[in-house]
Amino acid sequence: MSEPLKKVVIVPCSGIGKSYGTVSRVAAYKVTEEDSPDKTQLLPLALLVMGDEDSQKILATNQAITIDGCKLACATKMVQENGGDVARSFAVLDVFRRYRDFKPQGIGELNEGGEKLAEALAKEINAVVEELSAPKEGATHA
Amino acid sequence: MTAFLETKVDKFTFRVDPACFFNNEGIWVRVEGKRARLGLSDYLQQHSGDIAFVDVKPEGTVLASGDEFSGIETIKVTIALPSPVSGKVVKVNPAMETAPEVINQDPFGEGWLCEVELSSWELDQPRLLDANAYFAKMKHDAEEEVKRK
Repeated sequence: MSEPLKKVVIVPCSGIGKSYGTVSRVAAYKVTEEDSPDKTQLLPLALLVMGDEDSQKILATNQAITIDGCKLACATKMVQENGGDVARSFAVLDVFRRYRDFKPQGIGELNEGGEKLAEALAKEINAVVEELSAPKEGATHA
Repeated sequence: MTAFLETKVDKFTFRVDPACFFNNEGIWVRVEGKRARLGLSDYLQQHSGDIAFVDVKPEGTVLASGDEFSGIETIKVTIALPSPVSGKVVKVNPAMETAPEVINQDPFGEGWLCEVELSSWELDQPRLLDANAYFAKMKHDAEEEVKRK
C-alpha cells in the first residue's frame, strides 16, 4: 500500500478584519490554488483552534509553512500546539518591510498595494515550497 | 533598572519613564547634559501598532520645537512626529534603519529615535509635560478610548 502523497501544508492567519491578515490569506490561496496546488494543501487556522483531529493527522505527516498577520503569530503557535512541524514561518509585516511600495489597505478586498504584497509573499512561499518538495539527497524511490 | 510608572487600561499595560518629559503628541525627551534623546512613548507605540518603517531627519538637521523630526509608518497609520525640543540632530539610532520594531519592544530604551544637541532647553522645558502629568493625560486618553469602543 502506498503512502499518501506528502504535501506542504500552508496555514495562514485567519485574516478577519485586518489588512495584513487578508494579505496572508490571499497569498495562501494563490500558492495552494494557483501556483502549487499539486505540492501544497491549505489548512484553515480555525480547524486547528478547534483541535480538529483530521487536521492534526495532516500536520503529523507533513511539513507546514505558516503565515502570520501580526506579532501574536496565531498560525505558528496553533500549528505547534497541534503537534505540527513549522518548516518556515512568514510574518506579513516582515515581507512588507522588504516591499515598502506595497502598502496594504482594505479588509474584504485588498487595494493594489495589498494585492502586490500578497503576490510577493506568495513568491517567497513558493520558493520555500520548492525547497521542501525537492527530493532529499540519498532518498530512493520505491 | 528603571522603575516605570505603570497603569493597566482594559487589557493593555502602559508604562511611563519617570526620567522623561513629553509633548502632547507622546514624544518623550530625556535630557543628559546638553543633549537629549527623543522617542515614542509606550502609549503612542502601542496605539500606533507594529512599526514597519521609520524615517528620522538626518544628522545636522536643525529643529525648532514642533518641527517634524521623524515619520513612522505602522500597520495602522502613518504619522509625522513633532520635536519636543529645539536643537540639532547629532545622532540617529541606526536600529531605525534595520530593526524599527525595537520601538515596539523597548520604546524608552533601545527604541530611541535620535539625539539632539539642545539649543534652548530652558524655553522648551516649561512647555512639556513631566512624567506624572503625562501619565495622568495618557491614562485619561486610554480610558476615553476604551469608552468609545
